[in-house]
Amino acid sequence: MIENHRHPVLREDTACLTGNLAIVRGALEAGVQFVSGYPGTPASEVGDTFSAIADTAGIHFEYSINEKISVETAFAASLTGARSLCSMKHLGLNFAGDPAATIPYVGVKGGMVIVSAGDPSMITSPNEQDQRHFNGFLHYPVFDPATPSDTLEMTRFAFPFSEETRLPVLLRPTTRICHSGGMVQPRPLPKTRNNIRFEKDPPRYVPTPPNARRMRKELTGRISLAEDLLLGSDFFPRTGTGKTGIVAGGVAHAYASRVIEELGVQERISLLKIGAYPIPEMILADFLGSVESALVVEELTPIIEEKLIISAFRNGRMIPILGKKSGHFPLEFEYSPDLVESVLRKALDLGESPKKSISIPELPPRPPVLCPGCPHRTSFYHVRRVFGQKTVYVNDIGCYTLGYGPPLDCCDVLLCMGSSISKASAISRTTGERVVAFIGDSTFFHSGLPALTNALQYDDNITLCILDNHVTAMTGFQPSAVSDRGPEAPSIEKAVRGLGAKNVVSVDPFDSEASVEALKKARAGTGVNVIIFNSPCVIYEEKLRPRKGRGSYDIDQELCDGCTLCVRVLGCPAITIEEDKYLIDPDLCDGCDLCAQVCNRNAIHRKAKA
Amino acid sequence: MSLKIMISGTGGQGILFTTRLLTGFFVGRGRKVVTSQIHGMSQRGGSVQSSVLVDAGDSPVIGRGDADILLGFEPVETVRALDCASARTAVFMNTTPVIPFVLSQQYVQKQGPGTYPDLAALGDTIREVTPSLFQFDATTMARDAGSSKSLNLVMTGCLFGTGIIPGSAGDFETWFRENGNPGQGEPNLRAWAGGVALGKRLNPVEQER
Ligand code: SF4
Ligand code: SF4
Repeated sequence: MIENHRHPVLREDTACLTGNLAIVRGALEAGVQFVSGYPGTPASEVGDTFSAIADTAGIHFEYSINEKISVETAFAASLTGARSLCSMKHLGLNFAGDPAATIPYVGVKGGMVIVSAGDPSMITSPNEQDQRHFNGFLHYPVFDPATPSDTLEMTRFAFPFSEETRLPVLLRPTTRICHSGGMVQPRPLPKTRNNIRFEKDPPRYVPTPPNARRMRKELTGRISLAEDLLLGSDFFPRTGTGKTGIVAGGVAHAYASRVIEELGVQERISLLKIGAYPIPEMILADFLGSVESALVVEELTPIIEEKLIISAFRNGRMIPILGKKSGHFPLEFEYSPDLVESVLRKALDLGESPKKSISIPELPPRPPVLCPGCPHRTSFYHVRRVFGQKTVYVNDIGCYTLGYGPPLDCCDVLLCMGSSISKASAISRTTGERVVAFIGDSTFFHSGLPALTNALQYDDNITLCILDNHVTAMTGFQPSAVSDRGPEAPSIEKAVRGLGAKNVVSVDPFDSEASVEALKKARAGTGVNVIIFNSPCVIYEEKLRPRKGRGSYDIDQELCDGCTLCVRVLGCPAITIEEDKYLIDPDLCDGCDLCAQVCNRNAIHRKAKA
Repeated sequence: MSLKIMISGTGGQGILFTTRLLTGFFVGRGRKVVTSQIHGMSQRGGSVQSSVLVDAGDSPVIGRGDADILLGFEPVETVRALDCASARTAVFMNTTPVIPFVLSQQYVQKQGPGTYPDLAALGDTIREVTPSLFQFDATTMARDAGSSKSLNLVMTGCLFGTGIIPGSAGDFETWFRENGNPGQGEPNLRAWAGGVALGKRLNPVEQER
């Protein structure tokens, strides 16, 4: 563990920081006072880093129960004058859409920044929505960094800018920025920070319709102030004076500038970087006036391209504007230097790239899989045994999403955080069948609670399996509401009973007998049955209390007849088959005992200690 | 002189730690470093790729055929990252496989090959791209040094041992002893020394065949 005083974001020498750490550094340099967040890849390390340094840096920090709460707490802190920041992934801001939509109307006091990281190519997400639309959609100034250094500068700039315009700023790094390292030059931390005081002013803070209509008018003025301030910023640098224009934003700008250099065509190019939205109209008009064509290099949706087309039309500057709409770039997925190079070669008539493309033979994939010893595997195994193949299994967002596909096959439907219970309700109501829903502890508190209340209100015919592994594991082991297992800490069972659920049991999934009995009862029952499978994530547990020498398991080759059962029903990655022999990798096996219970021939045993 | 290193392997092999080590070392020598990591969810066993670019501009992604060095911690993962290699790329490959879990599923469901690709064939695929392939059993070397977790230091040691990157093994070791926390344990230092010795012995011509 790195000591707090040595944490890279607290040091002042030139360093290589990831985009996520650059956000933290930028916010510290701006004197941030309140930070909240809900974990979500690729933005999780923003919250994790603040969590690690909050005490040292004197910052209020919370892992919020969900993103809506995160946005609301950051907003309210801002009303007291505090500079505040909240962080989440792109989808999280959808969940927080309600508060987010009205904050620009009411306006902030202390500078407020929402970090909402995008994920082009859906590396860890189910969609790749373009966060830059929050500018046109809800009037947010959106900052779109191209490097970690930009990220730091933009975060620092965002706070005073937010105070001056009273607009919250949306900072939108993509996965390629969040997880990429780049050189940054930190500046000293400020000696003073904003004074904190909540000054009562109901007409200002209460958007009743008459007030909201007044706020809407003011908002227009604040947006044009934002545009003026951005015009004076460094977020739209231009390089070169060539007649072929290239306009690029985000990490695609870094690709474009690299490719231009490698092709040695600097003389022919003018490269304009778009770092923020709204793009001041003058910047586009000036650029269009100085080039003979413009190629737009931006990932996801053609926002810059459309603005350019509008600007060209309004200024009567009818030059070719190329990008996605002209078919030069695809509408989907992240770009790469190779893609940018091939399009640029075409646009500049440079011929095909001499680089050979390599034919790689088909390789076995490595999809993510539940860890060896994961309690979710055990829960899924029991559920499948009792409920069988025909039952509809509705799943949710977390490690347990990996119940998808063979051999566990416990995920027939998936959508978004907290949606398993409501989907199970509706499917059971329309089909008349008993449906099984899965949800983890963190996701249950995030947004499962209202859905369970709904299911209880309509007495839906569902079995809800709450997979309580004590932590938000998938995003890197952030605490959930029930990570503190003390007697006074929130408890899922108490919450569920408090809502009026009558059939509630807590079991340890590794207690097969109790688990199967609870499941059988739930299967025979009616209405809402809740089973809480309570067992900690093994990786988290190992971090908390290293269990040295729990020992691994071994397959007795004399007894194993290669019946395939353990592999067919469990999918534990520690079990491999080499030359028809079933083997357990001692480096991977967690010693959970599940395979030993499954094996009919009693061939699997805990290894005797050497 | 710019330097582009691609590191490829599976979760839990220490790819991200290796990235941090190389980054720290080069930044300490006043070089400008840009890195990029692609890793899926936190589970062990998935593919992990990471790039370290030294004095090579702002783009964090290594283009097709652009890597100077491909450091492969696992055979299949080395080939998976091969698109970054060309005739001038030096490929270092650990020959101990991490068996993908899908293979046993393929085997019992009788779908797909169900077995790990032939190691020699993987080597041939790489040699079609570049003559400079160095393969060795780094996992066993790490185990012999005391811990399979020291694999990353065998790989890094070997890289520095060959002398093909700016900075000597001695420079790195000095830096590592000062800044390498965590990872100061004896197995790590033994693994590192073993890697360096191996790197010094490696000879591109001999390996060409
Ligand atoms: S991280 Fe924990 S909860 Fe997630 S798959 Fe691994 S053991 Fe299971
Ligand atoms: S005991 Fe069996 S099921 Fe459990 S981790 Fe080891 S090999 Fe996997």
